[in-house]
Amino acid sequence: MRRSLTVPLLALVAGFVLADSAIVTLALPDILASFDGTVAQVAWVLIAFNVVLAVAVVPVARLLLGRDAARWCAAGIAVFAASSLMCAAAGSLGILIAARCVQALGGAFVLVGTLELLVGATDERRGVARWVTAGVIGTATGPVLGGLLTDAFSWQSIFIVQVPIAVVAVPAALAGRASPREPTVDRHRPAVGPNVALALLSAALTAALFLLVLLLVDGWHRSPSTAAITVSVVPLTAFLARPLARRVPATAGMETATGCFLIAGGLVALAVPPSASLWWTIPPQALVGLGLGLTVDRLMLDAMRDRLPRALHGAWAIGARHLGIVLGLAILTPVFTADLHDAQVPAEHAITRLVLDAKIPAQDKVTIARGLGDELRHEHGQVPDLHPAFSRLPPSAAQLPATAQLKSDLDSQLERAASVAFRTSFLVGAGLALAALVSLLWPRRMGDG
Amino acid sequence: MSAIATKLRSVAGLPLVALVLVSGVLGVQLAAGGGSFTPLRPASPCEVRDVTSVSSGIDGVAERVVLLGLDRTACRLGTTREALVLQLAQTAQHTDAQVAALRDGLLGAVNLLAADRTLPPASDLVDDAVGQSDLNGFLKIAIGALPPTVIDHALTTSAVLRGTIDGLDLRRVLANLNNPDDLTQQIRGAVTKAVEQALLDRLRALL
Repeated sequence: MRRSLTVPLLALVAGFVLADSAIVTLALPDILASFDGTVAQVAWVLIAFNVVLAVAVVPVARLLLGRDAARWCAAGIAVFAASSLMCAAAGSLGILIAARCVQALGGAFVLVGTLELLVGATDERRGVARWVTAGVIGTATGPVLGGLLTDAFSWQSIFIVQVPIAVVAVPAALAGRASPREPTVDRHRPAVGPNVALALLSAALTAALFLLVLLLVDGWHRSPSTAAITVSVVPLTAFLARPLARRVPATAGMETATGCFLIAGGLVALAVPPSASLWWTIPPQALVGLGLGLTVDRLMLDAMRDRLPRALHGAWAIGARHLGIVLGLAILTPVFTADLHDAQVPAEHAITRLVLDAKIPAQDKVTIARGLGDELRHEHGQVPDLHPAFSRLPPSAAQLPATAQLKSDLDSQLERAASVAFRTSFLVGAGLALAALVSLLWPRRMGDG
Repeated sequence: MSAIATKLRSVAGLPLVALVLVSGVLGVQLAAGGGSFTPLRPASPCEVRDVTSVSSGIDGVAERVVLLGLDRTACRLGTTREALVLQLAQTAQHTDAQVAALRDGLLGAVNLLAADRTLPPASDLVDDAVGQSDLNGFLKIAIGALPPTVIDHALTTSAVLRGTIDGLDLRRVLANLNNPDDLTQQIRGAVTKAVEQALLDRLRALL
């Protein structure tokens, strides 16, 4: 296979593996609807992949030291493709989660293998840079891609679309050759600073990528494709970050620190939207995207720079990132779940006030109140859809402007309650980004001392 | 000098740009009400508010009495109107204290509306109540033939409403909240009975 095809294919498959860590975020409500399970169980479709990848990638890198990276990478791609098919065909939530675990295990081989093969196909600097960039693009575009595919076809299509790419990538991997100079023993200890910062930043980015789509889809009741298009601001601005940053001279360390600050600022801004208009999410997302573009690739490169074996240190960086995602999910999920629960009473009070004071006939108020009571009783920890409560009204009453106004006002109250419920989680995310900033500054200050 | 400026730019340039961007975004969001995008809070039930209804006749009066009565009841129980409504609607068993407070609240609401002179004349209620009642046809025609001024002279709306509230089985009303047809029947029945009783009392007094 020609080198001009091998390199993009290997980068693409590496990007897909990392996109998979968040690709199902927007599909979770559809997956929940397909299977008999709870929200917490369905969240494991997302968590399981990240846990397995975080835990497996370093041992896999050790296993591959001195072995034929091309064959192991091809085998990893084949496992990844087969398990993707298994995910699409899963008949139960248990099988889907198990298939996601296998997918992550195959993904670990793919990531370690593609790093070696990309370096072998180009050179150290360009190979590592392409592998890192593919990963950043994959991570940032995963939710967007998943949302668009889910809305256009089904959640299963997310997994099906990966199969042909993986099938084409197998011969590309087999045609590749790893760099022969790679040592087979640990020469350097893992870079603690960049890896810790990567883990903390990944946890913070979970708030931006995972929580924002949840807020848009579940809290503000936007369609997955609308949410996907909205969150595409993050990858778009991430691409622009480096060219824009070049206009302002700064040291590499200063760029990374500034990126952490931008992510923290963007998350604080996401915590205080003035309304549920999607436009208000754009500037905060742009800050997060700029921060992402300035930090993750630089930290990955810092974690690997001058450290051998390269594959092992690349694996430490991947492990740190995915451990960070798991950490983010572990910290943020209970926070926003509890806040969503706490938001229920103020939301019910607001809804009650609006219904009592609505300029509609008393009989209609009672009918709507009964419907609302039923919808709120069956909300199962999610933001309810109150529109069915209005279907019990006679058509003449349902078409009154005052009724339409009440419906719109009730939607607004739910959006407000959901926004408040996500506020603390976004602020915790901002705190994690600031913690990453402190972790970057800390050794330098110690050194100065 | 230029070397220092270049060094300063490389150290502080990008962080300054980031600071301006973050401050700008946060400043605009907060100025547009970012901190106050929260659910509507319940109003204080102890403050008198202007209560209106789009319904007319008995339904309109009943709605205003209920809305004001809920405020007064909530104020007395030290809760909000919204919390009280949810509590009453979601609980199957209601305490004597709740029922007594609700009755007092409704009676207080009638007094308030009477004092404000915003209650409709009794003749409006009588026409409505008699029309929906199961009185025999002769009585309906006889009452319908009475000029409104005679009815308004004989009855006051507040007296009819007080009679209605006294005659209402509030526990049954609360149990029927999920059944609007029964609820309406019950309230209209109580109003009709109160009108009948008031007219009979007046008739007895005249005789």
